[in-house]
Amino acid sequence: MISPIPLPCLWLATVAVFTAGVGLAEPLDFGDHTSATLTGKAWKALGEQRYDDALAYTGKCRELYMAEALKQQAALTDFVPAEKAHDSWALNDVGTCLFIEGQVLEKHDKPKAAATYRELATALKFCQCWDPKGWFWRPAEVAAEKVKQLQFDAKLE
Amino acid sequence: MRNSNSKAGLTAFVLTLVVVSCAAPASPDDSGSRPARGSVVRIEGTTETGYELIRDGRPFVIHGVGGTARLDVLAACGGNTVRTWDAETALATVDGRTLLEQAHDAGITVTVGLWLEHERHGFRYDDAARVAAQRKRVEEAVRRIKDFPALLTWGLGNEMEGPTGRGDREAVWKEVELLARRIHAIDPNHPVMTVVANVNPDKVRAIREHAPSIDILGVNAYAGAAGVGNALRRMGWTKPYCVTEYGLPGPWEVDQTDWRAPIEPTSRRKAGFYNVATTDILADTKQCLGAYAFLWGSKQEATASWFGMLLPSGEKTIAADAMAEAWTGSWPNNRAPILGDTRVPLANRRVKTATTFDVLAPYHDPEGDALRYYWEVRRESTDRREGGDAERVPEEVPKCIVRADDSGNATIRVPSAPGAYRLFVTVRDGKGSGCIDNWPFFVEL
Repeated sequence: MISPIPLPCLWLATVAVFTAGVGLAEPLDFGDHTSATLTGKAWKALGEQRYDDALAYTGKCRELYMAEALKQQAALTDFVPAEKAHDSWALNDVGTCLFIEGQVLEKHDKPKAAATYRELATALKFCQCWDPKGWFWRPAEVAAEKVKQLQFDAKLE
Repeated sequence: MRNSNSKAGLTAFVLTLVVVSCAAPASPDDSGSRPARGSVVRIEGTTETGYELIRDGRPFVIHGVGGTARLDVLAACGGNTVRTWDAETALATVDGRTLLEQAHDAGITVTVGLWLEHERHGFRYDDAARVAAQRKRVEEAVRRIKDFPALLTWGLGNEMEGPTGRGDREAVWKEVELLARRIHAIDPNHPVMTVVANVNPDKVRAIREHAPSIDILGVNAYAGAAGVGNALRRMGWTKPYCVTEYGLPGPWEVDQTDWRAPIEPTSRRKAGFYNVATTDILADTKQCLGAYAFLWGSKQEATASWFGMLLPSGEKTIAADAMAEAWTGSWPNNRAPILGDTRVPLANRRVKTATTFDVLAPYHDPEGDALRYYWEVRRESTDRREGGDAERVPEEVPKCIVRADDSGNATIRVPSAPGAYRLFVTVRDGKGSGCIDNWPFFVEL
């Protein structure tokens, strides 16, 4: 399932950016371990600049649901209509988690970020993510643009 | 769509880019400095073979920008055309020379805008007297400008169908058709392009049905500019098109701080946006004639640096270098400074009044030029407007920079008055290139 809470996209939604977290060492809470919960927690951690936490949530989502996501992707030949988007719950959530992972990695490891975006753009190309403004957006398409931008950025070095 | 608002707003910022004296408009005949020989521009090709713009017998791909500043730098970067939103800007003079003449001197062509009024501003396309007056104004402009050699195409209107909604009002498009026919009759040597705010099936159908004399569809598209071609084909548009405005994500579509200050992409990130968007748009060599990026110049819109590819003082930035790379495949001479890894602990944060912070924003210059850093703190803009209308630049807050060096280190004392601010750094290489970045912060007791 796609998380019912609004999932902000970096460029499409408003995200409140707070002071970096206090950082007390508490064990991460994966909640009920559903892909929706993990994705929601990853978005929240990204917004609060708890980057290690964000990567932990996206990593767990990958670990538990990548196989199902690939299976759902393989069954598709195009984007499913909005009313059926929730049927591709694993594809959508794992794809979104890869996008979040790319966002975090861009901050300190651009080659790895590019690799993550490339994986999303090629392996999970029909994933969709709900924007609280009222539509699904396509993380794989944004990721493909990100790959190009990172390739350009590498030319600056 | 941005920049869709009033003619007055658009003209206002364009006029800030060039110091314009309001001399009477001249024609090439009036100047006496050049024979009156206009260019001949036509479109060759078909939907099947692909389209090409042919200027004076040679293929011409639009490597364009919106804005009229530093045409010499634009030409050096590989740009070949600018776009105006109205005829008055094309005829405005600096040192007695019109923009059209200056452009010609620099080897730059001009898509001359012929402003059409917007019904959302009170104009009515069923008001015969006002429509007649508009026709007269358009025809006069065409007669006056048609023989300037720099003229590339006519830009008939800009988002006059309205930036939101279906944009399919028949009266608007029938008037566009009538004007396109009259322009062709007066000037058979230049194609007529009409410019719309993005596309949707209703709008494209209305243009196809009611304005078949339009030669090129100009589309202002920010998010998803590279997808315009496919969208048009899905909607049955078979003629050529041009992306007439594109650029960065705007202040309205990026992350915000918790006090709702938009977080501006870094100069380095902006360069990536411009480069990739340009490359993607130009990849459609079949139906796309080229594109105009926004903005060649600088303006205050949320911040003083958001959209400008030039510094307010005229230096080109890394965004201009990125455009050059997309247009020509190589970097221009004297590249702009490039931002490295920053450490700005107050960025996007609430901080206590009058505290100090050590910050680092190191730039490197590809040619190794010595860089000069200028740091400043300004209040967050409160004069926010829609549609690209001119905004007031917030005042600088004095005595906030405790110390700064030429390696990108600075010590900042935040203002004592609570409120929203931005820390800016402007870096110049002293040889015509520079960069600017900023970080919002909020001071509280």
